[in-house]
Amino acid sequence: MSGPSPRLFGARVPRVEDGRLLKGQGRFVADVDFPGTLSAKFVRSDEASSDICDFDVKEALACEKVRAVFTGDDFAGAEIRCVSAYEGFQPSAQPILAVGRTRYAGEAMAMVVADDEYTAEDAAEHVTFAYRPLEPVAGLDDVLGEDREPVHSGWVGHAFVRRSMATDGFEEAAGSAAHRVTVELRNARHGAIPMEGRACVARYDQGSGLFELWTTTQIPHLIRAGLSDALGVAESRIRVISPDVGGGFGVKAQLYPEEVACCLAARELGRPVKWVEDRREHFIASHHSREHRHRVTGYFDDDGILLALEADIAVDMGAYSVFPWTSTMDCGMAMGILPGPYRVAEYSVTGTAYCTNKAPYGAYRGVARPAACFSIERLMDRIARHRGADRTEIRRRNLIGPDDYPWHSASGLVYDSGSLPESLDKALEVGGHNRLLADQAAARAEGRLFGIGLAVFTEQTAHTTREFQQRGVPIVFGYETAKVRLDATGTAVVSASIHDHGQGLETTLAQIAADRLGLSIEDIRVEYGDTDQVAYGAGTFASRSAVLAGGAVVKAADAVAETLRQVAAHRFEASPTDIVIGQGCLSVSGSPGASIEIAELCRLVYQRPESLPRGVEPILEASRTYDADPGTGVYTNAAHLASVEIDPLTGKTKVLSYAIAEDCGPMINPTIVEGQIFGGVAQGIGTALFEEFVYDDEARLLTTTFSDYLIPTMTDMPDFEVAHLETPSPHTIGGLKGMGEGGAIAPGAAIAAAVEDALSAVGDVFVDQLPLTPERVLAWLNQARIQGDGQ
Amino acid sequence: MVEIAVEVNGRAETAEVDGRMLLSDFLRGVLGLTGTHVGCEHGYCGSCTVLVDGASARSCLMLAAQANGSSVRTVEGLADGEELSSIQQAFKDCHGLQCGFCTPGLLMTVTEIAAEVASTPSRHQIREQLAGNLCRCTGYHQIVDAVEQALDQAAGGGR
Ligand code: FES
Ligand code: FES
Repeated sequence: MSGPSPRLFGARVPRVEDGRLLKGQGRFVADVDFPGTLSAKFVRSDEASSDICDFDVKEALACEKVRAVFTGDDFAGAEIRCVSAYEGFQPSAQPILAVGRTRYAGEAMAMVVADDEYTAEDAAEHVTFAYRPLEPVAGLDDVLGEDREPVHSGWVGHAFVRRSMATDGFEEAAGSAAHRVTVELRNARHGAIPMEGRACVARYDQGSGLFELWTTTQIPHLIRAGLSDALGVAESRIRVISPDVGGGFGVKAQLYPEEVACCLAARELGRPVKWVEDRREHFIASHHSREHRHRVTGYFDDDGILLALEADIAVDMGAYSVFPWTSTMDCGMAMGILPGPYRVAEYSVTGTAYCTNKAPYGAYRGVARPAACFSIERLMDRIARHRGADRTEIRRRNLIGPDDYPWHSASGLVYDSGSLPESLDKALEVGGHNRLLADQAAARAEGRLFGIGLAVFTEQTAHTTREFQQRGVPIVFGYETAKVRLDATGTAVVSASIHDHGQGLETTLAQIAADRLGLSIEDIRVEYGDTDQVAYGAGTFASRSAVLAGGAVVKAADAVAETLRQVAAHRFEASPTDIVIGQGCLSVSGSPGASIEIAELCRLVYQRPESLPRGVEPILEASRTYDADPGTGVYTNAAHLASVEIDPLTGKTKVLSYAIAEDCGPMINPTIVEGQIFGGVAQGIGTALFEEFVYDDEARLLTTTFSDYLIPTMTDMPDFEVAHLETPSPHTIGGLKGMGEGGAIAPGAAIAAAVEDALSAVGDVFVDQLPLTPERVLAWLNQARIQGDGQ
Repeated sequence: MVEIAVEVNGRAETAEVDGRMLLSDFLRGVLGLTGTHVGCEHGYCGSCTVLVDGASARSCLMLAAQANGSSVRTVEGLADGEELSSIQQAFKDCHGLQCGFCTPGLLMTVTEIAAEVASTPSRHQIREQLAGNLCRCTGYHQIVDAVEQALDQAAGGGR
């Protein structure tokens, strides 16, 4: 970055948001209360697929302190639709409350509104529904048979959409390759599961016709856009506010029916309406993720060099296409990124997004990349075994090298820069690979099951206009907006269209603004999460906020600084280009006496307009947007190294060590980067070992509490080792790359490899599905024993 | 309805509450102490942890009426005005929080441990003692850093 010399960029600055959060002074949606607020409780379907024959709300309505009970027809004018532009896409319409039919167990059918939460919950028990159960499309096994009725009437088959692509040379390369290996891989359905569930409070001002929705969202402006469609109300009549949010990870990046329902109920009843999701509802009705099945064939030569790749990808997207992503997101991402960090020249892929009677499927940290990484890395390990080569060596032979950039992937992506072989070496180094090998030898000598696994990946981040145009989504998430305003006391407010729910953006954006304006971090206040603050923007998802909002803050702050320069130049009769800004002052370079404090200058601008040069207006404010080049993303890369030990009696896998070497370009704040990596890795370890939504045969979710859906606890996690590489992107402001999701991408692949490696002391098995629950590990161990005995 | 008298963060409070009202709802809804967070209402996540007569308790599993006659401490009672407690400061120093939702529960649990700690525990012991507090953001590493720093201080730097 040119401009004032950076003082805070790159520093381990303590977070500015911590004070309020540590003192219990954060404001989360569940904490928001307005006078006269009513409480809502939703009555949800127990049946995945059924006709609603009858319902009775009279008893509930008769309860004291119950204000209203709404059912499907009351809100039938509104619905959530998100239609992809892909050819052959079959659309769905999600009702706000089920009308005549249920399409997943957990779907809201009625909304009870009462004076308080306890009453609403009691009254909800008195709402009764009679259904005629239909045979559900319970999952991918059912859609592949194609003998069930589709979830939506008028559909042909069960696919939202199926797409294929192949490079021209694929057939020939595949046909002439000396060897091939095919693997079939499964990732279980699971979810983001933030510690704070969803919540919203809606109010409607009759006088102005203004809706105000407080909601736990990562994407306030997009929620406004979705509400505008669903309610048929102009955006100028909707304000969406998302205050402190207790983690999102993607599950809070979709419009949900409850948000629409609370708005409608608030208008109908003339009182604020509040809903706070409970944990069971979160499991059954918040969006799910990660459920992929891949069949992947690698074609390679004697050295294990991958010549061509073939894949068939199936994703169970649940019952409805979600706003704003549509139901094509996971499948499209997997198709694009599957070749990953390797020099794959020829590629053929088919991807299908299926519709089933399960909860809708939304974003979760990494979107499809964990499954894609699992597939390609499991394939690499198989190729290594096939060639009798070392797993690290086989990767080195195939990785994209430092001189290969820009790399045009076989799927049409352009990787801008990276350090793949170096990150692999670095991970082996910080992870103590040689020591691990010695530990493994010692463990094996004692008959213990000790394994080492590794995974390498490249992560598409900060993708903008061109990428989302290609993805066929109705809204192209191309840019973010920042507004910078200096006040008369020389402090600044930075407003941004992104949202911070733990990523530390309140701090990193303040670091950037402080540097550009020559102020200290205490002089900067960062605000976000209110559609009234900036014009438009998409929000926080897809590892983009530091890059895009960071770039927008640079542009807006520089514009404001330019006005300051003009005013200072006028005052000192100097040229604006000779004015330097820093340490709270503007000075004429080379004239030690000619200096004025920024605060003093700001006061002059606003309060003494006569001191302004001709043509300069008395305002120190600028709004700018930033759409990072080249629009198809900039690429972060990393390598992960894990070691595990398996208990042969219980099948339980313990992660002993976990090392990450990550290259996300220049880091604004390394401490925050590490926090993001560690948090992502922990979620990835959850993916690898524990997390799975288990259903009964009728597609009803069985895992609905933290006692049967396990997320990692402190004792499940090792200490992490981390190393950084910093290869700047040639395209973005400051060379920044995104990194918020990366940690979650590789642990499934690395830990599966480690478990397989541990079992290899007994026999050769292929670990082909996640999570690695004790039952599955025991089954593989038995298989390994049989296989080992047979040799 | 039940009449209760509770001392909360050093202040005497009296209220008439529904017999079934949870302590978490009483603190949040009646007293406006929204720093105590509710993450599951099942007793698993630990977000709602408060100290009742000095011992950690899950306020989602306790009735307000059960706290009658007790002294309750919540996250709002930790800092001395603007000044963070040494445990809060350690969380800030070590980046022991991200979204901050689980944080109040962790701070209360650590406050209880710090009151009794004689020597700095190992990282493994810290993990065992805090395994009942779930965090989805941090991956725990930096929380363990923070607790190590805080307990080291509480134990007078002794090991
Ligand atoms: S809210 Fe009390 S333990 Fe989760
Ligand atoms: S900091 Fe977000 S849950 Fe712990």
